[in-house]
Amino acid sequence: MKRGDVLRWVLIVTVTLYFAVPMLAMARFAFQVVPVALLTPDRIFEGWSVSGLVDALGEPAFHEAAKTSLLLAVFAGILNLSLLLPLAIAIELRAQHLKGLLTTITLLPWVIPPIALVVGVAATFRSIAPWFLASPYSLVPFYALWAMPFTYRALDAGLRSINAKTLYEAGRSLGASSRTILWRVLMPNLGASLIAASVLTGALVLGEYAFASLLLKNTLPTYLEVYQGGEPRAGMALALAVMLLTALMLWIVVRIMRRRGLDVSAAAGAV
Amino acid sequence: MASVTMTGVRKTFGSTVALERLDLEIESGELVCLLGPSGCGKTTALRVLAGFERPDAGQVHVGGSDITLVPTERRGFGMVFQEYSLFPNMTARANIEFGLKVQKVAPAERRSTLERLLTVTALTEHADKFPHQLSGGQKQRVALARALATQPRLLLLDEPLSALDAKVRESLRDEIRRVQREFGVTTVFVTHDQHEALAVADRVGVMSNGLLEQLDPPRILYTAPRTPFVTGFVGSVNRVGATAAGDGRYTVLGRTLPGIVAASSTGGGKAAVRPEQIALDRDPAGQARVLDASFLGPITRVRLRDEREGDVIADLMSADAADLVVDAVVRLRLRDDVESVVIL
Amino acid sequence: MRSGPLAGLPFLAFIGLFLVYPTAVVVWRSATPDGALGTAALERAISTTYRSSFINSVQLSLASAVIGALVGLLLALAIYGLERPRWLRPALEAWSAVASQLGGVPLAFAFVAAIGTQGIATKLLTEIGFNPIDHGLGVSGFWGLVTVYLYFQIPLMFLVVMPAVAGLRQTWREASRILGAGPVRYWRSIGLPILLPSFIGGVLLLFVNAFSAYATAYVLSPSTQIVPLQIRFLLQGNVITGEEDLAYALVTWTIVLLLATVVIMSLFNRRAALWSRG
Repeated sequence: MKRGDVLRWVLIVTVTLYFAVPMLAMARFAFQVVPVALLTPDRIFEGWSVSGLVDALGEPAFHEAAKTSLLLAVFAGILNLSLLLPLAIAIELRAQHLKGLLTTITLLPWVIPPIALVVGVAATFRSIAPWFLASPYSLVPFYALWAMPFTYRALDAGLRSINAKTLYEAGRSLGASSRTILWRVLMPNLGASLIAASVLTGALVLGEYAFASLLLKNTLPTYLEVYQGGEPRAGMALALAVMLLTALMLWIVVRIMRRRGLDVSAAAGAV
Repeated sequence: MASVTMTGVRKTFGSTVALERLDLEIESGELVCLLGPSGCGKTTALRVLAGFERPDAGQVHVGGSDITLVPTERRGFGMVFQEYSLFPNMTARANIEFGLKVQKVAPAERRSTLERLLTVTALTEHADKFPHQLSGGQKQRVALARALATQPRLLLLDEPLSALDAKVRESLRDEIRRVQREFGVTTVFVTHDQHEALAVADRVGVMSNGLLEQLDPPRILYTAPRTPFVTGFVGSVNRVGATAAGDGRYTVLGRTLPGIVAASSTGGGKAAVRPEQIALDRDPAGQARVLDASFLGPITRVRLRDEREGDVIADLMSADAADLVVDAVVRLRLRDDVESVVIL
Repeated sequence: MRSGPLAGLPFLAFIGLFLVYPTAVVVWRSATPDGALGTAALERAISTTYRSSFINSVQLSLASAVIGALVGLLLALAIYGLERPRWLRPALEAWSAVASQLGGVPLAFAFVAAIGTQGIATKLLTEIGFNPIDHGLGVSGFWGLVTVYLYFQIPLMFLVVMPAVAGLRQTWREASRILGAGPVRYWRSIGLPILLPSFIGGVLLLFVNAFSAYATAYVLSPSTQIVPLQIRFLLQGNVITGEEDLAYALVTWTIVLLLATVVIMSLFNRRAALWSRG
């Protein structure tokens, strides 16, 4: 091997180790009933058990929090798509010059982080619509907002890759109505992007902590934080499970985007 | 300026043979085009010259010295690539100066070289633009100036016009020829476009399957192709029957005239006749029928079916073809000014 | 579509109600403490303790952004030159898309299990004679937080910069070689300058990403003096009258800082996009 290749592999292996160690440490903490202080090389295979995860999954409070998070993900996904999709299609077909503006707007959630927005929400809705903040589902609009930079990228990439404008014009020249084209041509071709955008929203909602914690809502991440304080091992197992589920969802997004030949970096939401 | 010799150059990529065995001699100051379909080895030949590929066998000499193993950066050549080869982070001026800076040429000399090149390529007003602000033709002119700035011993052009519009392509082609003459630099120009090659080159080398089929001035290549491949690749040809009449003369389309036997002739009794060498006589007893005629401005291209020769293409002056309608019956004949034919 | 111009209305109303309105109110109130126009709150928000939390936040974000960007870039360069194994680049891209979103509570737990006081890596390192916590590398300290943040920063940078690295054309390298430049000269005059706008854009994106990060820092050490945690503290303690104004002012400064960063970032990204067309 050349010297450059050695350096390459040293870097790749080091980075891989950095990514692997916390996951492995987490798995050990969650599934091996041996405190770290008492762990010696000869006891490495002792005391492995999934009891922590079983306990955590059996908690009724967990079911409650998981249900809330799941519904939040579904509602946020629906709201996000019903706002963004018509707009993304209209801009692609009718007003490409507005694309830059829309990209700028979808950058706003980067500029106004959750913690800042929560302060604004507390300053406004708490006094004029206290009933609104009482429900855990008051998080839905904010989660939909927060997911926009990411979902817009996925939708935009999808629209461009199917040449939506050409498809629309071809459809019109064949005498189809706008509605027919929308439902019979564009939507079926956008299926993959829509699924990718929805799953991405779901993964983001599943991990969101700042809004939920500051607005005192009991979602999966806030529950996890409290639960782990009391049940360290079971809490760690549950966190690992949530992390793997999130990773799985994001991996599905990557697979869908890739099969459609779309840029994976869209998942990063950066412009 | 230097002469270039490639002797027995062979290059394979895995099991693919890119260059079978290339022998090529280029004189000092000459512009040679390597012409051929994609995959014929012309680009590999150029990359071997540039030093980007090391040949499996054979030598490359430039100006008498063996450079086969000299690394690219010490060969002192210039090269223009197909497209997108300008450094995007530099202005046109900085692109042109780059090679001079690498060679640590003094600022005063650098400036005078730069001014001359900008004038020659008519780029003075675009000197401070970045590549993304230039048109395709302007970019290739900057690339040409950049390649000439270091006074290269050899200029390599790798399909420099293929990414351009037809109109720009033609004017830049002439410009390359003019500038090449002005600098007198030995040049190898790779292209798959025969019109480009015939218009620009002192000599054209036709390549096929890793072999050089023929290397000759454009006129000879066109009138006296030496192999069936060259015959078919350069210009259009009709293959019509030829009967030997002794004394190296052949009877073709009713006329008997001297035949030039192609190097690889199989003696199959066929002659290669160019479409513009055929005339049509209006003769109700003729054996050919007009299939269609396409008007191409000065000439009209007529497709015919002849009972003996099969399908034939004839290019007539448009004035002579005005009365030809589909299904008109005519007789094929060689034009009177044709002095010889190529026997395949 | 006939409904074209109307398609934007619900979207704009939504953005207006849930993003612009609350933000505008906060910015307005931070400039009108006690009901009258004045800079008292804004000034207080960048003085004494609050100034140090801004400094801490900037340092933490900058350190994790610069290190994350450098490692992400080096990783992309390492992958770029490797032809084999072929699966490596797609695998790393997929992992990066996943990991760049893995912030929050579970990630904090993972690092507690690895480099916390009871962490397995801490134990291993201690046994070979290097106790990381004695050297200020505890998971709740500055460098501990940087280490944790890098877990999502490196993948984010990799995703952002890999297309730029892969966009380095072979012809640029060949053109520079034939003009007499060796590899060092190529990277110094062409390769790295071409990557520079993408790199700076990436650093700024990572900076914004780290500055906004909340959950990881909160779970690992709620008492860290960084801006998001200060805002939370004021929000909880809003029984004391007058302190809301301070929270509003902190938010205003945060938005100003992030807005400036994002604007500069898009300028660099535009430059990178232009060059990639050249």
